[in-house]
Amino acid sequence: MNKVRYAMLIDLNRCIGCYSCQVACKMENGVPLGSWRSWVKQIEKGKYPNVSKSFLPLLCNNCENPICVTVCPVLASIKRDDGIVFVDPHRCIGCRYCMASCPYGVRYVNPLLNIVQKCDFCLHRVDQGLQPACVEACPAQARIFGDLHDPESEIAKLIAGSSVARVKPDMGTDPKVYYIGLDEEAVEKVEREE
Amino acid sequence: MEANLLYNVSNGETFGYMIAVYFYLTGLSAGSFIISTLGYGFGVEKYRPLGKPGVILATLLLVAAPMFLLLHVGKPLRSWHLFMWINLTSPISWGSYLLTLYPINCIIYGYFMFTGRAKLTKIFGLVGIPLALFVHGYTGFILAFGKARPLWNSSIMPLLFLVSAMVSGIALMILVAAVKDRFFSPERKVNKELVFDLAKILGWMIVFDLFLVVCEEATHLVSHQGAIDATTLLLTGKFVVPFLVIEIFVGKIIPLIVVMVPRFRTVPAVIAVSILAFVCILAMRFNVVLGGEYIPLI
Repeated sequence: MNKVRYAMLIDLNRCIGCYSCQVACKMENGVPLGSWRSWVKQIEKGKYPNVSKSFLPLLCNNCENPICVTVCPVLASIKRDDGIVFVDPHRCIGCRYCMASCPYGVRYVNPLLNIVQKCDFCLHRVDQGLQPACVEACPAQARIFGDLHDPESEIAKLIAGSSVARVKPDMGTDPKVYYIGLDEEAVEKVEREE
Repeated sequence: MEANLLYNVSNGETFGYMIAVYFYLTGLSAGSFIISTLGYGFGVEKYRPLGKPGVILATLLLVAAPMFLLLHVGKPLRSWHLFMWINLTSPISWGSYLLTLYPINCIIYGYFMFTGRAKLTKIFGLVGIPLALFVHGYTGFILAFGKARPLWNSSIMPLLFLVSAMVSGIALMILVAAVKDRFFSPERKVNKELVFDLAKILGWMIVFDLFLVVCEEATHLVSHQGAIDATTLLLTGKFVVPFLVIEIFVGKIIPLIVVMVPRFRTVPAVIAVSILAFVCILAMRFNVVLGGEYIPLI
């Protein structure tokens, strides 16, 4: 077992759907127009007067078994020892095979650089001991980032003590973004023409 | 439960048209090569006339095919990275070597064929067969390793790609045989026997192809929700015309009837259905690639 294993926990009971994480991520990482590394999917359910909205903040799951790393032909998608998966911008040839394989649709082609990019838990910040930009920006403190393998960390305690779920764990990727109060309806609702 | 999507982000298509055309061209190349080796590699005399056009087409198509890959990738000038860093678990990484070795082998094989050195031609022809199978089989692996997409993530995919490659390759060879004999031979007459022999192989390949398609779709229909959605998209959804009508009915059932029923089997009819089969496999590539990534993941 590695010493450090970074993960994120998103408490959806706290999420107010303000999109601060989405904006903070875009600013921090210079994400171009039309692309997003992290976003808040939103659905509405039910019929008046019994209605509700569900928010689902999405980002790269930095999987334990990342299919993107398995299929990248030039080893540009790399999983670090602390579990963070990142794309080497100097090596990526933009073949999009990782995008085609990723079950979470979190990768995009940067139209200015013509390479594939994605969320990497703001590794430039994490390496300096800071929190990822989305975690720092969240006014409701719904996002908790930390080391899963440290039993004293807030995230480890919360995951151990509450009922958590992950998006598409059946894909065998062992995603490392956990949710409290995950709404399956929000995960499964996709845009489709009938 | 009634639910509406209020806000979501889509990060756009991943593979798309270029990859479908690339798969089509490699399939044609592999199919033509295998027909070409029937005469010069395995020594089946009646297929010897197709040896030379077969190898020329196999080489040219395989030179053209990677051009579509270069158009697809974001950074074509970084193609050399494929040879610098090798990932043994990535089919594209295997492909970068196959796409280099296979055309080189085609050129050597063609050179010996044209200079009339029978023994060397045979050796390079037989070496080329596994290469041709791998070069097209690996494209099936590319899709099969795309685990997010139920339509692609199927173990039958490499085999389906090989069989459809044979269908399109043989259809191309029927057209080549007909055109070559009709316009460029001294008798100016189509070699009926050769065309009908090829048509019989085409028929059996279509039977095999249809069998695999039925296996795939039927299994998907009783599988998990994603697979059911992807298959209903092909069978009753947006892809019903390109899939059921064009690919299956026009491109496979009609050619199968024409080449299998002796009453319909005439030279013009066989040529016409070869064109259909030839086009249908292009539709098949589009259906698999674009249909597979049609439904958003999240």
